[in-house]
Amino acid sequence: MFGKIDEMKIVKIASIVLITFVIVVGMVIPMVAVPQTFWQFPLIPGLEEKARNIFYHVPVAWVSVLGFLISLWYGFRYLQTNDFDNDLKSVSAAGLGFMFCVLATVTGSIWAKFNWGSFWNWDPRETSIVILLLIYGAYFALRSALGSDEVRARLSAVYSILAGLTAPFFIFVMPRLVGGLHPGAQGDTSGSTPVAQLHMPLNMRLVFFLSLLGFSLFFFWLWNVCVRAARLEQTIFSNKQ
Amino acid sequence: MYEFLSHNQLYVVLTVTLLIWAGIVFYLLRLDRKLSILERELKRIER
Amino acid sequence: MKTIAAIVAVVSKDVRSELRTRYALNALLMFVLIAVATILFALRDDHLSSDVLAGMFWVVIFFTAMSGLSRIFVSEEERGTTFTLQLVATPSVVYWGKLFFNAGLTLLLTGAVAILYIVVFPAFVVQSPSIFIVTLLLGDLGFAASATILAAIIAKAHSKGTLYPVLSFPVLIPLLMTVMQSTAKALDGENISDAFGDFQILIAYLLIMAGGSYLLFDYVWKD
Repeated sequence: MFGKIDEMKIVKIASIVLITFVIVVGMVIPMVAVPQTFWQFPLIPGLEEKARNIFYHVPVAWVSVLGFLISLWYGFRYLQTNDFDNDLKSVSAAGLGFMFCVLATVTGSIWAKFNWGSFWNWDPRETSIVILLLIYGAYFALRSALGSDEVRARLSAVYSILAGLTAPFFIFVMPRLVGGLHPGAQGDTSGSTPVAQLHMPLNMRLVFFLSLLGFSLFFFWLWNVCVRAARLEQTIFSNKQ
Repeated sequence: MYEFLSHNQLYVVLTVTLLIWAGIVFYLLRLDRKLSILERELKRIER
Repeated sequence: MKTIAAIVAVVSKDVRSELRTRYALNALLMFVLIAVATILFALRDDHLSSDVLAGMFWVVIFFTAMSGLSRIFVSEEERGTTFTLQLVATPSVVYWGKLFFNAGLTLLLTGAVAILYIVVFPAFVVQSPSIFIVTLLLGDLGFAASATILAAIIAKAHSKGTLYPVLSFPVLIPLLMTVMQSTAKALDGENISDAFGDFQILIAYLLIMAGGSYLLFDYVWKD
């Protein structure tokens, strides 16, 4: 996948086009009380213009999870194959996932301040993104504490799998344990927010999914660049010795 | 245009966002190009 | 069976070497005392809700566990006996042996903390002992399941002491959250049937983490 330039060209162009489109459309389409045409979003009392954040904050959070999953997968592949290229791919995905995780937490916090009153509320989904942040942090702390390349690759793969094993708890159990502010949590009478079970009107849903796709493709582009740089680094520095 | 922007503030946000995005994209494209050059150079040397 | 005998041998070796010197055990018990004392000084006579008490209880256990549970592998590294152990026993034997040792140690420490809490904090009244005991058992086993393999992971790293809690915390959060909730219920004197949901989560956690660690241990232990 990394050798064929054509595939990546599509990814690059598509991600640029999609994200640009989403940025413009997400902001420009007016919000009216009763949408008449396709080019109007519904105005939800309580959310109003802030609803536009959906197009940016949620995909970024999704990409941070995607990064973790890809990192996990290639870590697992490393354990199977002992091929360092897999470890390279795993770390690169983790680094990017971490960056997106920070962005998701910060943008979420800002949005929360204006929507729910305070920067932090320990809502289950907020807590989950912090825990993902902690997992990423622990992953990198572990890697920096290990000297040998082989040991580092092996142990960080094991750790990410262990951390990944706890994920079902956060996705399925916790939101039901603790009531929350995010849509879909305990005590949420859906109808108050548009994201609950995707109760978005068709045009918003379309823009949202295009954004999801655009950001995901953008991740793959960034990942591609990171992996190529890491491979070059490895070749050059191993040749020097 | 300034008149228009000061009344429709969302467009200010849009302009800023697009500028930041354009910056990121150009940086990435430049990086990508540099990497391709390095990779080609490495292939050449390895022969 | 040969495997069970081998596992018993690993456990008894660890027990004997810990009892021989007792430095580590004493240090851990002192740590428990100090941690509880600190909390006592911090909170004084303030009447605390059961949520807070339950939370503080498990905070102390978490940090005590972080002080004590990494010993089983770190001490092997320090004494240089890791290689011998790798030669002499299969990975699964080592894993189960260390796991049982850690489980026993955690139960011991948790018991000590529980007794201290009951004695020291007047508000810490366990109104449902059945919920409390089941919580402690399941919680401790779950703790040991995660903590053992994480101890094996950090045994090869630098700055093990600080790294251990950093790695353990995210992995232990599901356990901690559930166990704190369940302990609060025990303090409040609720019906054991109310805690069944929590117990299910604890059992699921225990099975997933023990199973996962067992499968992954080979990769950590090999050299």
